[in-house]
Amino acid sequence: MSGDDARLARTRNAVGWPRACAGRLDVLNGETMADIPSRRLHDVWVLYRRELRSALRERTIVVNSVLIPVLLYPFIMWAMFTGITFVQGQTEGFVSRVMVTGWPQAHAELKRNVERDKRIQMMPARDLATAQRQLKTGDLDAVAEFAGGATGLADNFTLRVTFNQSKERSAAARDRLAAMLDRYRQAWLKREASSRGITPANWQLFALESRNTASSRQMGAFLLGMMLPLFFVIMVAVGCFYPAVDATAGERERNTWETLMTVAASRGSIVTAKYLYVATLGCVAGLLNLAAVTLTIKPILSPLLAGTGESLEFSVPLGAVPVMAAGAVLLAGFIAAGMMIFASFARTFRDGQSMITPFYMLILLPVMFLQVPGIEFSLGLAAIPVINVTMMVREAISGTFHWPQIGLTFAVSLAVIAALVRLATFILRFEDVMIGSYSGSLATFFRERILQGKKSARGAEGIRR
Amino acid sequence: MTSPVSVSGLTKIFHDESRGEVRAVDGIDFECKGGEIFGLLGANGAGKTTTLRMLATILLPSGGHATLMGHDVAAEPEAARHSLGFYSASTALYPRLTPRETLDFFARINGFPSDRVNERVTALVARFGLGDYADARVDKLSQGMKQKVSIARTVVHDPPILIFDEPTVGLDVLNAIEMRNVIAEFRAEGKTIIFSTHIMNEAEKLCDRIAIIHRGRIHACDTLAGLREATGHHYLEDIFVYYVEQANGH
Repeated sequence: MSGDDARLARTRNAVGWPRACAGRLDVLNGETMADIPSRRLHDVWVLYRRELRSALRERTIVVNSVLIPVLLYPFIMWAMFTGITFVQGQTEGFVSRVMVTGWPQAHAELKRNVERDKRIQMMPARDLATAQRQLKTGDLDAVAEFAGGATGLADNFTLRVTFNQSKERSAAARDRLAAMLDRYRQAWLKREASSRGITPANWQLFALESRNTASSRQMGAFLLGMMLPLFFVIMVAVGCFYPAVDATAGERERNTWETLMTVAASRGSIVTAKYLYVATLGCVAGLLNLAAVTLTIKPILSPLLAGTGESLEFSVPLGAVPVMAAGAVLLAGFIAAGMMIFASFARTFRDGQSMITPFYMLILLPVMFLQVPGIEFSLGLAAIPVINVTMMVREAISGTFHWPQIGLTFAVSLAVIAALVRLATFILRFEDVMIGSYSGSLATFFRERILQGKKSARGAEGIRR
Repeated sequence: MTSPVSVSGLTKIFHDESRGEVRAVDGIDFECKGGEIFGLLGANGAGKTTTLRMLATILLPSGGHATLMGHDVAAEPEAARHSLGFYSASTALYPRLTPRETLDFFARINGFPSDRVNERVTALVARFGLGDYADARVDKLSQGMKQKVSIARTVVHDPPILIFDEPTVGLDVLNAIEMRNVIAEFRAEGKTIIFSTHIMNEAEKLCDRIAIIHRGRIHACDTLAGLREATGHHYLEDIFVYYVEQANGH
């Protein structure tokens, strides 16, 4: 007789069970207290594997937790930057139709320069009223009128350009004329100064010379740090969203909740396994997104940077990887717990989605605020959930590690996660919430069961201790 | 000798906003012996499902006691659930798992020895004729196949006590007969079976003892022969009506 069978036999004898019915192991009997934690771990593992296996066969969850994090933001960035490059190319490619009146005699060179520029087409001079009308209809891009200079010197002039700022072509025509005039002015001044024996260095008394000490790698890290934390929070939240609804309201809607309530695992093990499953998918979504954006941003941005002479290197320092991974775990842990609390009250998938959405919006708001330039990762910010992890990840990407803030971020995040999980466990101790017969929301629950302390509230007698 | 199932003064009170306090189950007592099918016969809303849900530890009793294999359902719910297989219309299967995965999961989570899980799953797949469909997703199976997987799921950890809450609801005649045959087989294997129904014919054919439950109370509990003798009626339908009328004060 094996050890299992011996234990089984003891159990049967204890309750006077006939031997004919023997045949199963009643794990709890004959089990020492020391065995209970390992059995709980076993149960959580079995339940967790079941949740993941089911989830990975659900198209919506795979799309939201795996495909969207990998593809969405790289695609959005590609579409956005390709769009910008395309529009720039279009703007560069078209010819500005300009009507010019009153060319000054002393500046024939300027006229030749404009005529030589293939991007500017000189239109025949008409009366100003007709030109204004053509400008309005888009048949003309700008009207340029030369007038006398304000100083009264003979060769000076003012070029008055009339254009339509709301039209891309018209604004570009104005910019081309301004650039042309600027180049002509510089050449003129240089020539005049030279004829008087003055070098450009002497007549330009005050000059600005700037030097960017940031390496291409640092510039890349700066750009990544601006973009990635926002994507990261959104993706972790998206990654948690469907699993949280699926693990709670989805189970009720499919009628599998009651099946699960009859298995021999403790309620705590069931809630823990579900929580870990939701957090895992959120964490995976966040990390996949970080990796996808980091790997794809260079090829996406290269067409945009090609004309500027800038060279950016997008790579994450090796030391940042564990910090980012820990950040993903903390953020997913927080969001999963929050979402499961909201979804606990849902009876259908649709209910679950609408109950979680306010929490989803709530966690995105502070991240928007982080886009304001000049925000430092202070100890104060390290005490605010979500923002602290976002700042920690942002700094890690740029290779900066403020250890006191990182330590505080861990402490605060873990404390908040523990509090939320405890709250979720407390809520699910109420029988009617657990079995899905409670018809209120989280707010109603707090009002009825916590603030008013209604003892007779439905299910209050059904609290499992 | 302790009975596998022992229920004493079991009560469940719900608080309903419109009706106030509702005593869905009102101090019932019964015991079930090994190798018998104990029938809970009652109309819809009589308290059958609430009673069985308390035994399955889904609901917490408001009063009284119930033990499964000596484990109190309120004080030791996990131990009680280890001894139990629960089947009802509201215990559906995971649609995205295959029957084999379903059985494997329920065997492991209910504490069946892990080194014997594969052997047990294979045996149940063969017993219920699931071979051709064992690796197809549950949501692709026919209603009849799902029912077989559900029964196999209920017994996969070989529990000594089985609860079937209106198991034939929604089944066609042939599937209902098959279900009754399977339950009878479990009795032959020595299981204690609690079977709830509102169909007289089923209770007559299947149950060794029948408890007539009405408005949360058990009004009679005996073998069919005993009930016939006590009421002077032959058919269970007449016996049932007799007790319900008595309970209603007619």
